[in-house]
Amino acid sequence: MQIGRRPMLGFGLALLAGALLVALAAPLIAPFDPIFQDGTMRLQPPSLAHLFGTDNFGRDVLSRVIWGARIDLQIAVLGVVFPFLIGTAIGTLAGFFGGWVDAVLMRIIDVILAFPFLVLMLSIIAILGPGLKSFFIAMALVGWVSYARLIRAQILVLKTQDFAVAAESLGFSRMRIMFRHLLPNALAGSLVFVMSDAVLVLLGGAAISYIGLGVQPPVAEWGVMVAEGQAFVTTAWWITVFPGLAIVLLAFGFSLVGDALGDLLGVRE
Amino acid sequence: MTRKWARVGLIALTVSLGLGSIAEAAGVLTIGRREDGTTFDPIATAQNVDFWVFSNVYDVLVRVDKTGTKLEPGLAESWDISQDGLTYTFHLRDANFSDGTPITAEDAAFTLLRIRDNELSLWSDSYSVIDTAEATDAKTLVVTLKTASAPFLSTMAMPAVSVVSKAGMESMGEEAYAEKPIASGAFTVEEWRRGDRVILKKNPEFWEADRVSLDGVEWISVPDDNSRMLSVQAGELDAAIFVPFSRVEELKKDPNLKVSADPSTREDHLLLNHEHEPLNDPKVREALDYAIDKQAIIDTVTFGQAQVANSYIPAGALYHNDANLLRPYDPEKAKALLAEAGAEGVTLDYVVNAGNEVDEQIAVLLQQQLAGAGVTVNLQKMDPSMTWDMLLNGEYDLSVMYWTNDILDPDQKTTFVLGHDVNMNYMTRYQNDEVKQLVADARLEMDAAKREAMYMKIQELSKADTHWIDLYYSPFINVSRANIEGFTQNPLGRFFLEDTVKN
Repeated sequence: MQIGRRPMLGFGLALLAGALLVALAAPLIAPFDPIFQDGTMRLQPPSLAHLFGTDNFGRDVLSRVIWGARIDLQIAVLGVVFPFLIGTAIGTLAGFFGGWVDAVLMRIIDVILAFPFLVLMLSIIAILGPGLKSFFIAMALVGWVSYARLIRAQILVLKTQDFAVAAESLGFSRMRIMFRHLLPNALAGSLVFVMSDAVLVLLGGAAISYIGLGVQPPVAEWGVMVAEGQAFVTTAWWITVFPGLAIVLLAFGFSLVGDALGDLLGVRE
Repeated sequence: MTRKWARVGLIALTVSLGLGSIAEAAGVLTIGRREDGTTFDPIATAQNVDFWVFSNVYDVLVRVDKTGTKLEPGLAESWDISQDGLTYTFHLRDANFSDGTPITAEDAAFTLLRIRDNELSLWSDSYSVIDTAEATDAKTLVVTLKTASAPFLSTMAMPAVSVVSKAGMESMGEEAYAEKPIASGAFTVEEWRRGDRVILKKNPEFWEADRVSLDGVEWISVPDDNSRMLSVQAGELDAAIFVPFSRVEELKKDPNLKVSADPSTREDHLLLNHEHEPLNDPKVREALDYAIDKQAIIDTVTFGQAQVANSYIPAGALYHNDANLLRPYDPEKAKALLAEAGAEGVTLDYVVNAGNEVDEQIAVLLQQQLAGAGVTVNLQKMDPSMTWDMLLNGEYDLSVMYWTNDILDPDQKTTFVLGHDVNMNYMTRYQNDEVKQLVADARLEMDAAKREAMYMKIQELSKADTHWIDLYYSPFINVSRANIEGFTQNPLGRFFLEDTVKN
């Protein structure tokens, strides 16, 4: 890959790397304890002492944005990895074996798709109890269907192509054909989708936290910070603007990388 | 030539029509509020959103005055109480419903029996003390009680017993009446666009119609606090209620606006579930009271616009005990008490109403304060539609709630909170038979001085037990354009729109 010829890919990777770095180094670079409340320093505008100002509890917004990177990256990554793995496995099986395996799996997918995404998420989380763990489980249970459908479609096309037929006639095992020959070729579309899905999951996580089913206070998470700062948006803009920017930048990073990957791998969305 | 004149005429017509509509609009007061009402059937609701509009549309037999401390005549010009306190005779004044028919004692009797007996009524318990209600003539209503009841007269002023037309209810049916009622108050319901607005028009048949200056009122629901405030700032609304505490200072600086903080009977408190260990130990409950810095909550959440609470009866309300114990913020003492009770390092579940700005802020503050006394608090943000059931079922340790009085007399709230009546003493599962007996006795005590002494005692005893933790009393904060006068609420929440003027 020649990043030099693809400045947008470079920029996107830089954003993601930056977020990762901030998340990893949070304890080192955050100037304050993100949950410490200082009653005498409430709603201070950005200054040298508090670069992003303070919120209504006197907590340092910069420190909260920095610590929030940990939670939000975790949401974006874990919220995509599990659906990706499950969806890929199921999609491959359905596409390769066809017949009743395919029929059963596809009907399950139809059932899941019959419910609006958020409604299903909310009901699962409501059963499991609020919290990030429930969010990841719900994501895994609901999110895999898109990946399964993508992979299945690819496998269906690929398995009739010459190289696959050749592999079969050479007597390779089914497992080998599935995972060594078909899957690597089928993954390109999913990989691109992973990037745009990460953006959606990030926003979904923020939405779930916004209505109280995700991250619980006082933990700093960007979506929660935006929600909590909403009441002060006309008087203390800095509480919402900085975490909002952080969400935008991270989402932008994922999008740029996704776009560039799509070009590189020759996938059109 | 003719064409030219036609055009002039057209312009003149347009201008006069335009002016006409402006002049008309000038007398209509538009008020923004958080949510739309749910019904116009007085007995079928317990919500402030409904009650506050009922007071504009209906009149009651007995009214509460502007200071929220005295009863004054409403549709009943005067009343006599028999020596034994069992018979009340109300003398009704000459007044008409909005359909022009006279308001009779028959209608008043119907209203009282309806709230006691009707299936739709949410208030049957509060009025079960009524034995009979009869019209002895067109203007005389005689009510007999099963037992003497000190708070009875105050309950006659509650918006839930707004006088409805018997004939109207019977001919229209309850559902239609709840949609577009026959009014007995200052305004009639012109149109109700559900979820959007209630449009009221001046009621020319109202017995005090010359007191009313407004041509109409529109209660418009604007759920988002920020947009509601912006609409008033931009002049799209004349007034708005539920001003967020965080916006008061900013709005006060705007010369086009008036911000009012009217004394209210609202009290915010922290519920404790007495059935859960270790909250069943009074020492632990006392420790939590010491561990909470109420002033810090007031400073952070209400921006200083509230007063520390020392009793479940709010300051300014009847029989409030000013000398009631107020435990100061003392985390060391809290730790010591917890150690004595063997409850160090306890973990408690705190149910929070998700999306409620004030609730969420209090929760985050309390979590840090209680941590200072070594108490770990798990916050559980829940949808408000679920929290009430969780509290009822006892699936909580801590939760913040508030109460605003519906009647002048403390009996109603006291019965709900300490009277071992319904909902397990407002979900706390508090048990104290001495308090229970006092609450029952105070209801029957007709001597005001003795009754006051009993209420002082009830407040002391319940505070000693820390039945819940009193947090703060906050005012009703409203904003109106500078040209609006007399847009005020009494401590029970009643708006006096009959006295409101739009200049």
